[in-house]
Amino acid sequence: MVRLREFVPRGYVFTVVGIAVGVAGLVSLGAMAERITRFIEGGDRFVLGQISVAGEGMGMGAGFTAGGLLSAAKIREIAAVPGVSGVQAQVMMPLNTSTSNFMTLTQELVMGMDLSVPIPNRNYRELPVASGRPLRLDDRRAAVLGSDFAASRHLRAGASVSLGGQDFAVVGILGKTFTAPDRFALVPIEDARDLWLRRDPLLVQVFGAGNLRRGDLNTGAAVGWRDGEDPDALARRIQSTVAGLNVTIPGELSRLLRQSTAFFSALLFGIGALGLLIGGLSLANTVTAAVFERIRDFGIKRALGATDMALLREVLGEGLRVSLWGGAAGVLLAWSIGTAVDARVLRDGEQLFLFSPRLLTFALVFSLALGTLAAGYATLRILRLSPAEAIRRGS
Amino acid sequence: MLRATGLSKTHAGPHGAPVTVLHGVDLEVKGGEFVAVVGASGSGKSTLLNLLGLLEPASAGEVWLGEERVSHLGRRAQARVRGASIGYVFQSFLLLSGLTALDNVLLAARYVGRDRTLAQREALALLERMGVAHRKDHYPAQLSGGEQQRVAYCRAVLNRPTLVLADEPTGNLDDEHARVILAELRASTAERGAAVVLVTHRPEAQAGADRVLRLRDGRLV
Repeated sequence: MVRLREFVPRGYVFTVVGIAVGVAGLVSLGAMAERITRFIEGGDRFVLGQISVAGEGMGMGAGFTAGGLLSAAKIREIAAVPGVSGVQAQVMMPLNTSTSNFMTLTQELVMGMDLSVPIPNRNYRELPVASGRPLRLDDRRAAVLGSDFAASRHLRAGASVSLGGQDFAVVGILGKTFTAPDRFALVPIEDARDLWLRRDPLLVQVFGAGNLRRGDLNTGAAVGWRDGEDPDALARRIQSTVAGLNVTIPGELSRLLRQSTAFFSALLFGIGALGLLIGGLSLANTVTAAVFERIRDFGIKRALGATDMALLREVLGEGLRVSLWGGAAGVLLAWSIGTAVDARVLRDGEQLFLFSPRLLTFALVFSLALGTLAAGYATLRILRLSPAEAIRRGS
Repeated sequence: MLRATGLSKTHAGPHGAPVTVLHGVDLEVKGGEFVAVVGASGSGKSTLLNLLGLLEPASAGEVWLGEERVSHLGRRAQARVRGASIGYVFQSFLLLSGLTALDNVLLAARYVGRDRTLAQREALALLERMGVAHRKDHYPAQLSGGEQQRVAYCRAVLNRPTLVLADEPTGNLDDEHARVILAELRASTAERGAAVVLVTHRPEAQAGADRVLRLRDGRLV
């Protein structure tokens, strides 16, 4: 307590509490904005890290590329296009076919990956496994689950999970990415093909009657490019070289994604502006009021010989210390509330707050700067008064 | 030592009309002289003290301290004069609530750049002399009115000012405490040669003064 008093000027406890409340508001709103921003940025990074292709047509797959079946022959043709570094066949399908397509931003997907090919996505060379292990080439009926997917079902590595009526061993859980893979169940592509065949009777008929082989059962593929290649140019080259494909142009897809999330971006801006306004006004008002409350003290100190600069230095120093304590307490308060709320909603696989280092740093710097400015402003206002007037007004 | 010529103070009244509270006061107080200023409420006593102590600017006139025309100095220089040459004792003590008794006294030394160790030794000696040394670590709210005024007096004289201005310093004190404060003010003229200007209603204070000045409606009579 004695040590605390050395840092928190006496009589400033309520000021520190006031600042803490303002900063907590700022940090809480900012943490929610950060959460949404990370989701949008994550999606953008993903689509910019690969060229997604599917077969021509409407198709029945889900995920990033809509289109028809992408046959093994087409995949080989794509791999032969100059500039392509690798092609990974994929089978993506909604876990719940009756609801998943309505909520495309939060849908749960089963993603079958051809593990004989390294992940071609430049921004996700490998997905971060937080516990357990990644999928191996010889795995069957094994799954690595996204963090939200696992949390909503209370699953850990070593447990089992039912996907499309089939039991899978959970061999690993991904770390939080704050974007789409958090809701994925990653499985070997052969297992995904089995699920697909079981769930789609029409496909069984086509598969049984035609010339299709299991290797042709792909909803799409991720294509990587060699160093120095322009991905948009390569995507157009693939489109013109290989017939019968739906090819996404990474740059265009990114633009479309940003357009579709424009509402969220505007919402984020609003939340951020609101946070700054509420937190900033609360903080500035608290510090200014605290300085004005000491108007009599200023008059006394000037009567004792304090110069304007001496008082300004004194108040700025106090303002800095009080803002630092208030800011730190506010960050702690927001973090405690956010963590408690998240602990509850995490049971359903959700996370509302993201207390990123950049947000916390900004909140502290913001409170320090604004607190000091407010203290300086109030001091300059008081210094306009004569010492006698300051004593009169404060008495 | 202290000289004021043509000292006037006018401020705007409630309806904008100028109100003059002090009309061209001329005054001279020598070093070691104890002067009492008396007058009815609103006669301009406190305003006169504020102008002499550079606590507010005069509308007209000059204040000289020794050979220096202090009323026309810049803000920084006036702050230096207030800290080094003038000591104030107020009716309501005006101690800082967040500081202990000792720190309140030492506040006077802080702004004139005195060595803290030396100042602390003198502050403790002053508190001892005033009988409140045992209360040095107490905050103002933990002190009686008489004790607060003794502490305030220590703060006023710590820097050995050549001019001590006291505005009703005994107004909130009982007779015993008032007697102690008046005796100390008197002693500061005798022992250190300081000039003391005291605004008071107490007859015994007037009786002990070298001179008594009467103010009526902002004029010395």
